[in-house]
Amino acid sequence: MNLREIVQKIEAYLAERFPTGKLNYASLVEHKLVPVHKLSWAYYLGGLALFFFLIQLGTGLLLLFYYQPTVSDAHASIEYITEHVPGGALVRNLHAWGSSAMIAAVIVHLLTAFAMKAFARPRELTWLTGVCLLGLTFALGFTGYLLPWHQIAVNATKIGLQSIEQIGQYLPGRMAAWPSVIKETIQGEPSVGQATLSRFFALHVIVLPLCMAALLGLHLFSVQVHGMSQGVDEPPRRYEKFFPIFLIKDLSLWGIAFLALFIAALCIPFESFYAYPLFEPFNPKGSTPDGIKPEWYFYFLYYPLELLPFWVVLLVSTAAVVVLLLAPWIFKNTSRRTLRLLAAVASLYLFVMTVFGEKIYQLFKH
Amino acid sequence: MNRKIPHICSFAAGLSILVLSQMPACAYPDFQTFITKSSGRPVNCAFCHAHSDGPDGAAPGQIGRLTPAALERLGRARAAFEPGVDVDSPILNAFGNHIIKSLGKRKFLEIRTAPEQLAVLLPQDSDLDADGIPDVQEYRDGTHPLNRNDGRPLLLLKHNFQKNLASILLTMAATAAGLFGLRHLLLGFAQAMQLEEATEEKEEI
Repeated sequence: MNLREIVQKIEAYLAERFPTGKLNYASLVEHKLVPVHKLSWAYYLGGLALFFFLIQLGTGLLLLFYYQPTVSDAHASIEYITEHVPGGALVRNLHAWGSSAMIAAVIVHLLTAFAMKAFARPRELTWLTGVCLLGLTFALGFTGYLLPWHQIAVNATKIGLQSIEQIGQYLPGRMAAWPSVIKETIQGEPSVGQATLSRFFALHVIVLPLCMAALLGLHLFSVQVHGMSQGVDEPPRRYEKFFPIFLIKDLSLWGIAFLALFIAALCIPFESFYAYPLFEPFNPKGSTPDGIKPEWYFYFLYYPLELLPFWVVLLVSTAAVVVLLLAPWIFKNTSRRTLRLLAAVASLYLFVMTVFGEKIYQLFKH
Repeated sequence: MNRKIPHICSFAAGLSILVLSQMPACAYPDFQTFITKSSGRPVNCAFCHAHSDGPDGAAPGQIGRLTPAALERLGRARAAFEPGVDVDSPILNAFGNHIIKSLGKRKFLEIRTAPEQLAVLLPQDSDLDADGIPDVQEYRDGTHPLNRNDGRPLLLLKHNFQKNLASILLTMAATAAGLFGLRHLLLGFAQAMQLEEATEEKEEI
């Protein structure tokens, strides 16, 4: 195969994945149809994740007006926002609840997209960008967690960064030093301190949102030109128009999600789920308070790390990431029925670890 | 004569700092242990004290940092054996002072062996942080009685929902109105599109 043929193949591949010919009013609005079947509800999850991302952008921008990214002032600025800025507690709570809602929406969206085989040709790149967006969402959660600079934030970040370093012992030769280098690069100094906070702030506020916007643009473009995937094995009997029927339903769901988020943010402070000593300013000379753990969306990884040998968790999670990335090729010929079963097993695991993880941990540790 | 008074005052203050700093700083871990055991939530000295590490030390809110005037207030609080004395101890927070004012130092020391009694003896309707959860309930739950963001989530939801009902109803009405308008706008666009298509088809025929 000569160079010309290779280029032609790549061109053909990209033309099938990004059919720019469909970028017209008729394809995107007038004639666009959405299949109606028992899993149709899953078509709304991507839009919901996007809505929560927009909420995060809006509330995050408002928080930026007052937040101070220094170890001496970060906690005080958060307290100032909560106690003295008009509407500050609501905005901060919207940001905290919104992050959890966004992560939950992205996870469920990924699981349902998997169950519906939405990665099948020609949507492989849509799937890949989606998996990367999930990773970015987790990264946003991890970097944002440190910013309030309270006890649980700093100590949980330390644990997270230590886990990266631990990977080194399982890597061969020179590669063994890489995780330490990565950890030190992220951390910026020997221990979690001002350099870490500055880096996490830059990542959380500039780098990751920009990456997110770029990938999201590619993802949405791909979704728009290909339309909704079939979703079920048997061809759907009914379709509805994307414009205006599906769009109206989608926007109505956004309205309901906004109301739910607004009521939660107004009535339940996110901090109330944890013991108050965890929200005191981080004291590097003080002892570590009890109950340090990551946010709920890392429990599926955190509790296995507490219970099982590190290498087991590392092996399984690496395998899971590889399977996720290569899903369009690994499950090319798998029926949607089987995929639904796999997605159900994954959902069950995530649910059990998130809700009962602590109980399971106590059962095995004591 | 008048010039001597400041000297005497500063001598007395210095002496009292010396005496008080030699006295054991009485934090009462029995209550902390009880709260943690009964509620399952870890708590620290900041539940009743001004500093989260308790009264010992030289940080703000600890004995080593007290001014003569603050030491005087501390002395008065330590001497408040009977209930009803309006104490303002600089090493205690508002809840700690509330306990001493409500029970008196004597009763407080008596119930050290039965810390669950504190929830019975304190005023049942007092809610220092106005979060809708009485202080005695917060004591049992291990949530901070001076932090309105700390409390059992469901109780906070109930209280804050009632408190913000007007805002919630207005937001609901605004969202519903917005969605209603948006729906009709989109339907209008769709009808206009169909009309345009039909006209074009007719013209073609």
